[in-house]
Amino acid sequence: MSLYLFQILNGVGLGMIYFLMGVGLTIIFGMMNFVNFAHGAFYALGAYACYVVMSITGSFWAGLVLAPICIGILALGIEKVLVRRLYAVDHSIQILITIGVMMMIREGTLLIWGTVPKSIRVPELLAGIVAFDDFVYPVYRLFIVGVTALIGIGLWLLLEKTRFGMVIRAGSERPHMVALLGINIDKLFSMTFIGGVALAGVAGALIAPIRGVDAFMGVEALGIAFVVVVIGGMGSFSGALIGGLIVGLVQSFTSGFWPAGTNVMIYSVMALIIMFRPNGLLGRA
Amino acid sequence: MQNTTPFKTYAMGLIAFVILLPLLIHSQVLATEILIFAMAAIGCNLLLGYSGLLSFGQSLFFGGGAYAASILSINFDVSLLTVIGFTLIVGIALAVLVGFFSIRRQGIYFVMITLAFGQLGYYAAFLAEDFTGGEDGLLDVPRVALKLPFLPDVHFDTDISFYILTSVLFVLSVMLMQLVVNSPFGSVLQAIRQNENRAEAIGYRVKLYKIAIFAFSGAITALSGALYALMLNFAPLSNIDIEISETILFMCVLGGLGSIFGSIVGAAVFLLASDFLSELWPRWMLILGFLVILVMLYARGGLWASLMIMLERAKEILGIKEKHNV
Repeated sequence: MSLYLFQILNGVGLGMIYFLMGVGLTIIFGMMNFVNFAHGAFYALGAYACYVVMSITGSFWAGLVLAPICIGILALGIEKVLVRRLYAVDHSIQILITIGVMMMIREGTLLIWGTVPKSIRVPELLAGIVAFDDFVYPVYRLFIVGVTALIGIGLWLLLEKTRFGMVIRAGSERPHMVALLGINIDKLFSMTFIGGVALAGVAGALIAPIRGVDAFMGVEALGIAFVVVVIGGMGSFSGALIGGLIVGLVQSFTSGFWPAGTNVMIYSVMALIIMFRPNGLLGRA
Repeated sequence: MQNTTPFKTYAMGLIAFVILLPLLIHSQVLATEILIFAMAAIGCNLLLGYSGLLSFGQSLFFGGGAYAASILSINFDVSLLTVIGFTLIVGIALAVLVGFFSIRRQGIYFVMITLAFGQLGYYAAFLAEDFTGGEDGLLDVPRVALKLPFLPDVHFDTDISFYILTSVLFVLSVMLMQLVVNSPFGSVLQAIRQNENRAEAIGYRVKLYKIAIFAFSGAITALSGALYALMLNFAPLSNIDIEISETILFMCVLGGLGSIFGSIVGAAVFLLASDFLSELWPRWMLILGFLVILVMLYARGGLWASLMIMLERAKEILGIKEKHNV
């Protein structure tokens, strides 16, 4: 029994990280009709930013807070210089250009930090394990579940219950109408892009102590993020949540009996789901 | 975009190209590599440039072809033609499979599904150690001889003989693809790329056309993968990596979408640049990423189209005005 609980918790923790990746991708797409292939690269950069801040200040907490802010500032710059010009162009061009961005970020990280993976130690407070009877579990993994759940709830409240969220949702349905109503759509797009990319930064920083930090984590995460949104349905907040959890749980349970086959399993589940629901579980047609 | 240049001129141009290439760059191996990747880039261009399908699954066909040829050459005493035939069958089968699933959706979903299949292929190859050698890849892949009845066997162990083999296959497959894109079938694909709903409404079975072009793309890409493995005598796992899809895509975009000659130029420029720059600076891909952004922002026709425009300008300046109909 406790083995299953262990795997469920692991799966939920991973799933919530994937949710953070997927939701940024999906909101940016839903709102701005923009396909961001550099999303995984920003995730890797988030992990590096956390590593850098931590090696300067010595505090993991500072890294966790500052990493997304750094990534957000970078996203602001990229949006102003590049992404802004791409809203009107064809998806395939957006994809090719953001792959260019992805390559530049990947090579840049290799240039600065080299090919040797970096590791991050979690602070004392989170380093231990919790025990209920015979069930033990690392505190840090519980912390991930908690933090990501808080971010998820916060994001949901922001999107569903505030005026700002209302404008974003309206903007993702009818951007031109929203612009006609006197709302600065450029500013809104720019904020959405920064927010979505910063979420990828958070995900990268959170996973860093478990996975380690290297330049190739971006590609790996990009593939997973796509699976999440394909399963959940592009442009859907709850789709990203369900997709993330499904992928996390599949990964966690497969690693119980077939550790080498986790990735094959994830992609096979995706193939199965799109066979029966081509729009994803919660996607709009 | 219908090309009016006569078929014969095309063939002559290609043959001249494969003869001049090794003389110009002084390396038969690099020349072989250029032809191989040009074929892969053309495979990508058939989908993206001619049919509007951006596929990230090309690594699956390339790696699949490499494994198919290697497994057959290592384990069985076969003739080269058998290896090529088997490679083509594997490439077509993989492409039809990926095509069948991915064309259920359009646009961004299509891209993500092909990418997911590419990843699936990579992890599957990683797992299937008995067949693919897993992380180590397949070593000592022999270049099997061409066995023809009543004739002595033809071996391809030297660089020059392998270059000739590659050239022959290159010219044949490029001519075939040129025929395909200029055929009525190719025109329907153009129509689908420009307005899918309209093509469907006119009565074309859009899905069948898409699967068919996938099959062509899979075949030529698998063939290039097979030649690559034979050239290296080695089929590494990185052949089926997503980075191969990226590389192929870049060559295709760099050269110019919707132009077979563009893909050849793209592959040549990419490999020559990588040969030259990678020795100067291991992170040269940084520049490449920047270049791709620039091409997509300012010169979407790619290098081939830019070259053509420059030629036109030069002609105008020199006063050699040609009457032409676009």
